[in-house]
Amino acid sequence: MTHAVAAPTLKMGIPISNAKLGMWLFLGTEIMFFTAFIGTYIVMRMGSLGWPTDPHVTHINIAFGGINTFVLIVSSYFVVVSHDCLLNHQYAKAWKFMLYTLLLGCLFLGIKSLEYAGKFEHDILPGHIPENNRQAMDKVVGQFGALMDRHLAKAFPKKEKREDQKAELDTQIETLSKKADATASEKKQLSQYQAIAKLNSEYISLKEHVRGNLSLTVPYDKFDDIRKEEHASSKYAPVTLDEVNHKVEELRKGVVGTHEQSIDEGDHKAKEPNNDSELIKSLASGLRSAQPILYGNLFASNYFLMTGFHAIHVIIGLFMFLLILMKGSRLSVDDAILVENIGLYWHFVDLVWIFLFPLLYII
Amino acid sequence: MSDHNPAVEHHESHGSIYFRVFIALCVFTLISVAADLVHLPSKILLGAIVLAVAVAKALCVLMYFMHLKFERAWKYLLLAPTTIIALALPVSLRPDIGSSYYFQDLQQLKDYPEHEARVRDALKHESGHH
Repeated sequence: MTHAVAAPTLKMGIPISNAKLGMWLFLGTEIMFFTAFIGTYIVMRMGSLGWPTDPHVTHINIAFGGINTFVLIVSSYFVVVSHDCLLNHQYAKAWKFMLYTLLLGCLFLGIKSLEYAGKFEHDILPGHIPENNRQAMDKVVGQFGALMDRHLAKAFPKKEKREDQKAELDTQIETLSKKADATASEKKQLSQYQAIAKLNSEYISLKEHVRGNLSLTVPYDKFDDIRKEEHASSKYAPVTLDEVNHKVEELRKGVVGTHEQSIDEGDHKAKEPNNDSELIKSLASGLRSAQPILYGNLFASNYFLMTGFHAIHVIIGLFMFLLILMKGSRLSVDDAILVENIGLYWHFVDLVWIFLFPLLYII
Repeated sequence: MSDHNPAVEHHESHGSIYFRVFIALCVFTLISVAADLVHLPSKILLGAIVLAVAVAKALCVLMYFMHLKFERAWKYLLLAPTTIIALALPVSLRPDIGSSYYFQDLQQLKDYPEHEARVRDALKHESGHH
């Protein structure tokens, strides 16, 4: 039996399109998704006495955060203008405003990646941050060891084990220094090897001082005697983080062997101008001093989780804008619901940032 | 879809409302940033102001940009469970993780005096410069 389709007299369900309802349901779940991370951050902060808030410590740039907030607000406004234009049949204008939104989204990601680059540079990463002085000293020593491993492996790629590389280094230095008719490149090679050897001895001295908890003013050559002494730990000053960081800064400037002083004499050796200082400087350029941040690792975890997931959502939104922008001149009023839904998603992304900004950057 | 969006057929431009909401959002953002730069005496006061501003901005976006002001009661059906769960999470976890009732054998609590000394030295260093 056929009959003409009449307008239904009873309307079931909610008076919006299925697509819009679907998008709103999805946004409901997304709200819960972000609440999980933001709520966790709030609760963790409440329970952590000493959470890092100083922007010099956390390297959080409120200017970047503020600019990003403004960028997202403008992009939200442009989306809504675009939808309005579309409904008014101004298709070219609508397309233009969606393009501006896409560009602003890319600008947001650009600023975010600048912030991330800063975090990476200062090693503000979960699991990388020392939380007390001892951990900071151990981190400096660990990084120094890794740096020496890299230098030795680069100098002697054919040797696999570190001991073999070190032995080869000593052999090469001995051979080249004894050579009477060394060429200029061999002399240069010798200087390079000597610089590596000097830096390595600095590393071993620093490592043993930190491990033995003895101040850098205690000479390394006295260590064997000290180990045999009774109550050595109460006789000699413990190593401090400031000393270790100071040592790192000196090595980065190319200055070696300044902390050693005889405990009997009690006066510092003068800083000898070092011919190899440029070589040491370039070899030691990978060293970094370390400052502990209490709860730094929790902070970094939370920061990257929240901003990382937000950035992923931004990328998905940009992808959606790209898809609709590809319609180009075929954009018409029939796309209004699609544009509205993409706009809803984008407004949600803006909403999340509206809450992230004060929580991360201001409070 | 067989249902039409009535908004598509007769549409008046809402451009001026959107622009005014946009200006309101910018003003709110400036208030937040100003609250931070002014160095208020209490962190709780700063938190209250800044979160109130965030909620106001969120309402602007939800009501006008996301058009919820002009939608019907279904919006409560969708958003009420979400909001309840969203608030319930921190509120329920706060007494669990966010507060401590007994002595905690926690490394960070042991390191706290060192941290305090570091903060004090940093402040001294800064005030020495200014």
